Amino acid sequence: MGFDLAFALSSVPTILGAVGTTLCVALVSCIGAAAIGFFFEMVRRAGGIAGLTVGFVIDFIRSTPVLAWLYFLYFVLPFYGIRLGSMTVGVMGLSLYYSGYLAEVFKAGIDAIPKGQSEAARALSLSRRDAVIHVIAPQMLRNIAAPLGNYFVSILKATPYLAVLAVPEMLGRAFDIASETYRYTEPLVVAGLIFLALALVISHGVKRLERRLLAVGAR
Amino acid sequence: MSLFDIWLGILQGLGTTAAVTAYGLVFAVPFALVFGIAQYLTQGVARLLVTGVIEFWRSSAVIILLFIFYYALPVVGITLSAMTVSAMVLGLNAGGYASQAVRAGLQALPPGQREAGAALGLSRPAILLLIELPQALVAMSPTFVNTLIQLVKATALVSLVTLTDMTFRAKEIAQVEYNPVAIYTALLLAFFVVCYPIALAGRWLEARVAAPGSRSRGI
Repeated sequence: MGFDLAFALSSVPTILGAVGTTLCVALVSCIGAAAIGFFFEMVRRAGGIAGLTVGFVIDFIRSTPVLAWLYFLYFVLPFYGIRLGSMTVGVMGLSLYYSGYLAEVFKAGIDAIPKGQSEAARALSLSRRDAVIHVIAPQMLRNIAAPLGNYFVSILKATPYLAVLAVPEMLGRAFDIASETYRYTEPLVVAGLIFLALALVISHGVKRLERRLLAVGAR
Repeated sequence: MSLFDIWLGILQGLGTTAAVTAYGLVFAVPFALVFGIAQYLTQGVARLLVTGVIEFWRSSAVIILLFIFYYALPVVGITLSAMTVSAMVLGLNAGGYASQAVRAGLQALPPGQREAGAALGLSRPAILLLIELPQALVAMSPTFVNTLIQLVKATALVSLVTLTDMTFRAKEIAQVEYNPVAIYTALLLAFFVVCYPIALAGRWLEARVAAPGSRSRGI
């Protein structure tokens, strides 16, 4: 009983059918993580007790595995009477977990902007809000675009964790086929290859984007 | 079951978590060094092959790799323990990340270092071993610490291939005791207690490595 290529090929359409779910989950989680991460970083920058607390929360999240967070949300929320679908819980878990990392991305992106920029904005008597929107944010976006893209790939590669919550993404589909046919190797290899291809293609795109942004930044 | 019992019960899995991490490092460290250096030194087709191996381990979704090797190796006649398979997959995945730090660290050195070695009549291996690697590894040590934390956290996955690590213990306890809040909070805390000191050590290391006048930059 070796690797049955014909069987592997026959499982491709079923697994590939879930590629939309996988990409959707990854995209929504990435947006969620960016929103929470940006909020975290803003509170942390403001300092005070709230800033210190959020700084600790970020450290806590970064010191704990994503799988533990998924179990935590999946089993603890119903205990408090909050019943959500497993996909919602999965997206929440990924968003929360990666927010700790994206907060650091925002921090680095903001720290990399020369101090003169915000000083010039103040000298021009822009309000703090206008300074952030018109001066800081556009430059920050250029700094964070590439790391954000890399984290999107990380999140994409973490979506198969959601199979443990029975979310029907690509690994879940592969296991469905496996349990029907008692053949694990082929569907798992197919799922693995699709993920590898997606990760490599998107990483390549991010690298090209990074090079273009560097070229623009050097002008 | 008191909170203390739950906490102790989860810590019973700490041995397995530590064993997988240590055993994983046995795979990760040699892989990172050999492939990082190989990617730095090779060109053309050889470099393409080296990069291919690194990308396979680095860019694949680690959870799928774990399942593939767990289910597929016996099919082709290779029977390894769940521990060995987990350590290999998690270790080589971490090694793939670390290899990029090794390569980047070597590339970041000024060419004058290598040229000075050559001018002193050192052979290429001697230059690499005595001049380039010590500086590159010191400069990249904070990145290696981060990769170690990622490895510790990734060991939570071995609970899915029947190893009784901390995550597995949490799920076992959850079967006899309906107290998800305490159990999964304890699980998160257990990982935090292990990973946070490593993170702090990494920060200390980073401050030292980046310190002006430190030996690696002082010349």
